[in-house]
Amino acid sequence: MLKWIFKGLPMLNAGIIVVQHMPKFINDSLRDSLSSVTPMRVSIAENGAALESGTVVIAPSEVHLSLVENRIVRLHHGSKVNFVCPSADVTMKSLTWDLEVLFVGVVVTGMGRDGADGTVHIKKLGGTTIAQDEKTSSIFGMPREAIRTGCVDFVLTPDEISRKLIDLVGVK
Amino acid sequence: MRKSILVVDDEDVVRKSVQRILEIAGFDVQTAAGGPECLAILNKGFKGLILMDIVMPGMDGWDTIKAIVEGGLFEGNLICMLTGKEVPDIKMDYLKEYVLDYILKPFESSKLIQICGEYLSYLDKP
Repeated sequence: MLKWIFKGLPMLNAGIIVVQHMPKFINDSLRDSLSSVTPMRVSIAENGAALESGTVVIAPSEVHLSLVENRIVRLHHGSKVNFVCPSADVTMKSLTWDLEVLFVGVVVTGMGRDGADGTVHIKKLGGTTIAQDEKTSSIFGMPREAIRTGCVDFVLTPDEISRKLIDLVGVK
Repeated sequence: MRKSILVVDDEDVVRKSVQRILEIAGFDVQTAAGGPECLAILNKGFKGLILMDIVMPGMDGWDTIKAIVEGGLFEGNLICMLTGKEVPDIKMDYLKEYVLDYILKPFESSKLIQICGEYLSYLDKP
């Protein structure tokens, strides 16, 4: 699914954080897979690194990823949230009010309700929120829960998500 | 080492059709008719992609994943749920982090082949 979205992405004028629970031993494989379809630089997130425009950072397995001041990556151990670690809610809810930053939250296919509270949070920050549509979702659980919050702006297919991201943040 | 696919499904027709689709596409495929048979294959050293049905008599898909994890058999394997059940029960909550993806039955053969190829490539990386 992520590959489907990223293959339609040019070098965006934004930094992207990917949060997906997966076995640790395939972190590098996911990085390489996404790198093969987008010109954006894709890496596994490192503690203390700054999120740069035009880059994609993947939350590594078994730790949560927060952003300090909407920019600096902080990796931290903690209890599972929504039964997973890393949790999208943790990352999304670490964002803070900043008039100079455009936030976009995207919830794609997955089980459970991770990302729903984060969607509400991003909406409160004045951001734009997107959920994958039911037809293209293998499992509609997470997008459905996000939509149920009433805080999702767009329900889209992966191709439409790519185009919407381009429209929202622009190309470098 | 070439990685294999293990299809775990109690329905004979599903097992055989998935096996045939994937073998024609060039994959090595093993099958198991249920959780105990799946565990036996893993205990013999299977590493690869596991396509796991959820609803099976006795030991269901979630029970099987729990046994895989508790038995130390998860490392080196990826699990996708191959299921006709769109909304799995609450039993999965604490096990979902071991599931990489979900493929709903009925599925398109081309999509199944594409997904399997993608995830097997993950396992081929050093």
